[in-house]
Amino acid sequence: MVRVAFINPFSEEGRQMVRELGNIKSLYEENAHLINLVNRSRSQDISDEGSIPHNHIDMALKRLEWYMKKKNDPSFDYRKYAYLLDPEITKFDVIAFYLLSQAIGVKFGPNSRESRAMVESQGKLMESRLGELFKSEKRVLVAQILNSLLMDEVKWTFFEDLLSSKKIKLPDLIIDQGNIILNKEDFMESFSSKIKHRDPDKMYNLLVGDHIKELIMTKMIMQKTENYISTVYEKSRREVEPNPLLLELAEEISKILSETTMSYGYGGSYGGEVKASPLNPKAFPPCVKTVLEGIKSGGRNDAIILFLTPFLSYARLYPDVFRRNVTMKVSDVDPQLKVVENEILPLVYGAAERCSPPLFEDQPQEKVNINAKMGFGMHTQIELKHEGETTWYTPMSCEKVKLHLPSLCKPDETCKKIGNPLSYYIRKLREIKGDEDGSED
Amino acid sequence: MEREESPILKPATLDERRKYYREEWDVKEIPEFIRESVLKREFGFDHMGRGPNDRYRVFRSADLLRKFLRYRAPFAAYSSVAFYDKPRRRDGWIKSELVFDVDAKDIPLRMCGCEGVCEICLNQAREIVCSLMDTLKGDLGLNDIHVVYSGRGYHIRVLDESVMKMDSDVRAQIVKYIIGAEVPHNEYAEEGVTYNLEHFSIPFGYPHVFTLRAKYSILHLSEAIQMEGVNQKLVKDAIKHQELIKNDEWGIFRNKIGPIRYQRLMNGIASLNMGLVDAKVSIDLKRILRLPSSLHSMVSMKSMEVKNIENFDPFEDAVPRFVYERKD
Repeated sequence: MVRVAFINPFSEEGRQMVRELGNIKSLYEENAHLINLVNRSRSQDISDEGSIPHNHIDMALKRLEWYMKKKNDPSFDYRKYAYLLDPEITKFDVIAFYLLSQAIGVKFGPNSRESRAMVESQGKLMESRLGELFKSEKRVLVAQILNSLLMDEVKWTFFEDLLSSKKIKLPDLIIDQGNIILNKEDFMESFSSKIKHRDPDKMYNLLVGDHIKELIMTKMIMQKTENYISTVYEKSRREVEPNPLLLELAEEISKILSETTMSYGYGGSYGGEVKASPLNPKAFPPCVKTVLEGIKSGGRNDAIILFLTPFLSYARLYPDVFRRNVTMKVSDVDPQLKVVENEILPLVYGAAERCSPPLFEDQPQEKVNINAKMGFGMHTQIELKHEGETTWYTPMSCEKVKLHLPSLCKPDETCKKIGNPLSYYIRKLREIKGDEDGSED
Repeated sequence: MEREESPILKPATLDERRKYYREEWDVKEIPEFIRESVLKREFGFDHMGRGPNDRYRVFRSADLLRKFLRYRAPFAAYSSVAFYDKPRRRDGWIKSELVFDVDAKDIPLRMCGCEGVCEICLNQAREIVCSLMDTLKGDLGLNDIHVVYSGRGYHIRVLDESVMKMDSDVRAQIVKYIIGAEVPHNEYAEEGVTYNLEHFSIPFGYPHVFTLRAKYSILHLSEAIQMEGVNQKLVKDAIKHQELIKNDEWGIFRNKIGPIRYQRLMNGIASLNMGLVDAKVSIDLKRILRLPSSLHSMVSMKSMEVKNIENFDPFEDAVPRFVYERKD
């Protein structure tokens, strides 16, 4: 029987494994037991010495590398990481999990690309491990873990964190009178009288069954991972210097992510770095074009201030923001603020002027809000001394646009492939560049 | 033919506002859920009819709010959905009501074609509110729900403690769930075999919510409607087979329309549903909303808490006395 900690490192069993670890210095020492387990794992490729972890630190790095390569490397070879799906490895895996989470927590915090990769990798690992089990074994294991994570009656509001981080979408859950329906008995009691011309058992298996339970379990453990990283981060801010070993490991983690990003692009995006360059209106998405023409009905303020200003400023100065995930200030790219004054603001003001009625005619105070959204505080003039008083707002996602400004969203074919107007812009820029290169040929 | 707007719906003069607040209005008409939390809320006022520019007002008691309204007779009065430790600075956010704003002039598929609001679109807004409330109660199990007639539509205000601390992202998910903003999956897998189950064959959960909203939309379609990705021919065909939807014969309707066109129609309806409520009101944790019992001076109607939405008629229940005393 697979141990609970193989799936849930937060289980009591998992925590006990960490308590039993002993001397932290041993983490770098060659571990014959680990090497032996890896070599014995079914399907493991042992021809390449480089793919065998030799100690706990190696194991931690391989754990993350597996995810990054699996996600991004078209020639990913699962046999190099087969041991990660072998339950025999549980003890080493749990320690690797905590090492990674702590290193990411102390060095990068919960809102970093490293944290995101760690949380996602934990999710994928659980999914892959469950996929290797027999149905009956999987069912028992999932039930056991869920029992420890949930009460008998679960309200949907219990999943507030998962809903907020979009790990779970409300329509994925079957809810009745506020309760999430997971068990067959509850399902039958709530819905069997409503189901006509179909077998209620079959309906339960299709709509709830094992997959919703697995989904909830997986997402809850992912959320716990995120929360754990956050707790470590908070603690490290309050307390003494973090362990140098963790900082060293954090550097290695960052390297793995950067190497994969440079080779294949992070988050599935293609192509390399996108540098700041003059705006190309031909690449603007339909929603931006609409706002630039001026808003003729309601929602002028939100369209100009919350939507257009962040879009234009990031598209011009820092189009790579989502790919790099590093916070920057406007002046990091435009130290004299010449681009802001000569290129970005004229476009924003022009769009405001074309609104009906012109935005600044009845609401001149909104100029201050434009400055605020670029990070220059609530002031009438953009000045470097005020930079940082407010946050440089990142462009709204398509989902937010649909909620805030539904009339703007008139998607074209490219829109179906992106989740943010800025991604549209980058994609289009590449297409235009590709066409131009092609025509030169 | 376009219906004319009701003669009631014309702006109130300053004298009429004064008359309303001094002779007709009573502080006890402010719902208890606001009166008991006056200290924690921000208040805002519009004195000239140019928007609520007088913000960040606080009152130490309902009686001080009463005096202010009596004396100033504002064009419009608002209070925050948020509770703060320091409402004067909008600082120390504690929690916010979960709010859904159904504005009669903005709902999709209006049957009236009027410019502003009229009896017909207000009644449509009321029907939508009833249906959203059923989902809030039946699916999401929420109970502390208050409906307020705003003067041009309705506010659903939820005060269940379990949702009041939720952030904007969770609220966005709730809005999308109750309005049916996404077409549910139609493929479900079991042991490697995929089965096709359309939303209308699942009588519970989100698929059922979507079916109810889609039914409402199809039954209110008109040929003039513009829907994303849906051409005029498809709209016409949907209207032609409306009767089938009325009788819940969805399978036959889908066959008549054709499965690919049906999918296109559902996508169009999902995006139309986004207009059922003003979603940005729901996700804004610091919004101010029209104060129930105050006067909506633009249309000379009382904003008021509605005790029984099924029977509520704003043209009977929310018309201030001064309107009946008008000479013209």
